[in-house]
Amino acid sequence: MSSALRHPPSGDASRATPDVRLSVEQVSYAYAPNPSQAPLFTLEAMSFQAKPGELVAILGPNASGKSTLLKLISGALQPLSGRIFLNGFETHSLPVKTRAQRIALVQQESRLLFPSRAWEFVMQGRHPYGGGLRFESEEDILIANNALAQVGATELADRWMDKISGGEKQRVILARALAQQPLLLLLDEPTLHLDIGAQVDLLESLRRLAAQNRYTVVVVTHELNIAGEYADQVVLMHRGKCLRVGPPATVLQREILEQVFQAPLSVEMTPSGRPRITLFTNK
Amino acid sequence: MQHSFANAMRRARVFGAAVLLLSALPVRAQSITPAPASAASPAMREVVDEFGRTVHVPQVPSRIVSLAPSLTETLYALGVQDRLVGDTDYCDYPPDAQKKRKVGGPINPNLEEIAALHPDLVLVTKEINRLDTVRALDTLGIPTYATRAQNVDEILSTTQKLADLLGVAETGKSLTADLQARLSALHAKLEALPPSRVLFVVWTHPLISVGKNTFIADALRKADADSIVDATQDWPQMNLEEVVRLQPEYLVFAASHADSAARDFEALSVLPGWQLLDAVRNHRFAVISDAVNRPAPRIVSAIEDLARQLHPTAFQDSPAPEKPAAPAPQPSNPPTAAPSHMTLNPQPFAMELACAR
Amino acid sequence: MRPLTLTRLLIRCGILALILFAVIVVAMKLGAVQVSLYGLGKDLISLLLHRTSSLSSDYGMIVLGIRLPRILLAVFVGASLSVAGVSFQALLRNPLADPYVLGVSSGAALGAIVALIVEARLDLTPEMAGLITPVGAFLGAAVTIAAVYILGRRDGQIDSTTLLLGGIITASFLQAVIMFLMTTLSGNNLRGSAFWFMGDLSTPQPSSLLYFLSFGFIIAAGAIYTTASDLNLLLAGEKEAMHLGVDVPRVRIVVYIAASILTGLAVSVSGTIGYVGLLVPHVMRLIFGSDHRMLIPASALGGAIALVIADTLARTVTSPTDLPVGAMTALAGAPLFIYLLRRRIA
Repeated sequence: MSSALRHPPSGDASRATPDVRLSVEQVSYAYAPNPSQAPLFTLEAMSFQAKPGELVAILGPNASGKSTLLKLISGALQPLSGRIFLNGFETHSLPVKTRAQRIALVQQESRLLFPSRAWEFVMQGRHPYGGGLRFESEEDILIANNALAQVGATELADRWMDKISGGEKQRVILARALAQQPLLLLLDEPTLHLDIGAQVDLLESLRRLAAQNRYTVVVVTHELNIAGEYADQVVLMHRGKCLRVGPPATVLQREILEQVFQAPLSVEMTPSGRPRITLFTNK
Repeated sequence: MQHSFANAMRRARVFGAAVLLLSALPVRAQSITPAPASAASPAMREVVDEFGRTVHVPQVPSRIVSLAPSLTETLYALGVQDRLVGDTDYCDYPPDAQKKRKVGGPINPNLEEIAALHPDLVLVTKEINRLDTVRALDTLGIPTYATRAQNVDEILSTTQKLADLLGVAETGKSLTADLQARLSALHAKLEALPPSRVLFVVWTHPLISVGKNTFIADALRKADADSIVDATQDWPQMNLEEVVRLQPEYLVFAASHADSAARDFEALSVLPGWQLLDAVRNHRFAVISDAVNRPAPRIVSAIEDLARQLHPTAFQDSPAPEKPAAPAPQPSNPPTAAPSHMTLNPQPFAMELACAR
Repeated sequence: MRPLTLTRLLIRCGILALILFAVIVVAMKLGAVQVSLYGLGKDLISLLLHRTSSLSSDYGMIVLGIRLPRILLAVFVGASLSVAGVSFQALLRNPLADPYVLGVSSGAALGAIVALIVEARLDLTPEMAGLITPVGAFLGAAVTIAAVYILGRRDGQIDSTTLLLGGIITASFLQAVIMFLMTTLSGNNLRGSAFWFMGDLSTPQPSSLLYFLSFGFIIAAGAIYTTASDLNLLLAGEKEAMHLGVDVPRVRIVVYIAASILTGLAVSVSGTIGYVGLLVPHVMRLIFGSDHRMLIPASALGGAIALVIADTLARTVTSPTDLPVGAMTALAGAPLFIYLLRRRIA
């Protein structure tokens, strides 16, 4: 039996360098509900790269295109131009099952039609590794247990999903993503419904998991300080354009942030070299 | 301020127009209801119908609407068809009845059509028509006479009562006397013979027969045939196992065309469960005219026909009278192409089908 | 943590199958005609050994020739409707879905009525005449399946909400057409048409049809079962399912067509029997949970059990007359459901 959390296989195509796991190259997107109408939303061509173990924050105000970018990265959408590579493979062209073995998307909420227990929920993460009629193996159970342990939710295993708190649910949802043993972990505004303690818990876990398991974590958020404190790289978006990419200290600067977020603020550097943003009230 | 006043005026005008329009409708409706009985009309009398209802009719009703095929047939048999101004879509016997003005089906007749005919008498029967129809006609002030016939004798007495109602009592008497004579003669011929045990098949999928209190069951008895069905409902759905256990001697079908019934029988005979019936294996089935489904004078012909088919030995000395559709007495004819399917009179409850999901 | 294993699945299904067998045996004993099980057993053995001429009594023929086929038909219809029900509940993400919600049953009824009308004008052999109604019904179902599929698409794929709406509208439209046909064309056939609305298992079917039905059930139910774990994920949300590796469009089409075929087959021979497809999946879910790898076979067996019981009641309670089996399914099913629901919550 292999060790509890084996390393996911790495791709083997020409575009991968040992360092770069995720490569977004000149990707743009447009969405028109109707062929005859003008496109409602566009994402202008943008590029960035991410390494294993890195936490990338896609930062921007509402309607800046963050979620769309995340969907493109996840392979759910096909870019209008440009390509997205994960370890050398184009994400959109992967078969759905393979994609699910490499990319895990953590939703904010999970609406279950019929309630299930937390461990059942986490087990769903093993689905990409099974055939149609496959029953879960010992290994699957071990991986699922491990995933729960990694998020500190072992004691929630037998609880019903509709009876646990928001923060606890978030942890279980994360555990399910971990059970997929992905290369890439994507989160769309994960802190929206969480209280501050839970937010900190989550981001700390993500940073730890990224380092421990060599995930590449991409977090979409509009919280400035989350990006500042936890991200290794920040992608700053504004109205479909990528304005800047880089470490937080270089991206989170006062002038550009004030323009993007339309609010007076100040940026200080903490002793650890991370920017901290403080908002001023108007007037 | 001025705007709201103008608006108010406009609204008032629209409202007034609406009121005028609406009030015109009853006036128009008035014009289609028949003139009240008291206004310059023949003398009226009170009669009591077969449900104990008191009905005001003219001395001699001259504009009659029949809401049941059986009643239409009876009117023709009594010779008063000239006074029949309207009947139902299903009134097809005699053929001349099809030319009369149609007022819809027996279950859902068109009240406006009936009223537009200015009838002085509407005839209904319990077997087919609905109480709601009678109530609606009462509200419109149209005299409605209701009949019922639970057995063959009552069919004859209803015929006589209708004859009295319509002022042709003598014709009625001779008609019923003739029918009674035929029935008595039949009884005399069949008295000595043991009754045949039969299953009267109303429908095959699912298997539906007639209850013992229906006039059809009574008609069977007059032909010296006992229905094996012992249910009190009018149209019981029979369990095939029970039928097989009872092993009727004959299956009886009522059809306007004998050939289609023969075809239906052939279709039955290949089904697994039905083959357990001796009657099916030995091709013992009788087809009679669908007159047996109507409580009208013609039912006696159907009874006689059935008796001939079931008990041929009693009739060897008398030739068969001509019949409208002629099935052979030993019905092992090969089926030939036939235009219509088994007919069945519409049932009072049919419009209230429950759609179970 | 105790996920479903093959062993546990087989054991549970085995228990249900035993219950079904016991119910069938009791159903064979009960009826308008009394039989002894011992005599029946002897008859069955003679039958298997092809010594039919030495059957112990006429009653043996009745039971084997009429009652047993009827019971087997109930098994087939009950299993089909329940599997279709659980599939539609997953596909439409709606616990109130039943096999008829997408209009397949109305299409089948319309097909059967049209077949009846047409049959009168054709000259068919008796075997063909017996088959024309189920065939017509099935064709009606097939056309409806295709029509609702086309209506239910959005951006080229089946969308659950659109499908549900398209199905409901189609069902209503077809019902209206049926009502119209029944009032204008027939003064006859009305009582017979009631069969389609109340459901009826009493009509003996030609054996060729029965083989076809079993074959169809195995294929369709089998196809649905291959998507069982996909359905588990589908219930969590279509986007999530996709991100967990489910080929959502393929699963939707397979389940939609297979479940509709099951419904069409069942309705073609028995009319619309209500409540089985709706309640049996819920009862099985309360007992076994929502894992479709267990739920689908459990629903099939549970539906067979339920319908055999209901049909046995329908033909014995007012013996020698039959009651509509649809009334029995409602009367028996609803209180049971309430009981189980309360037990679970308490």
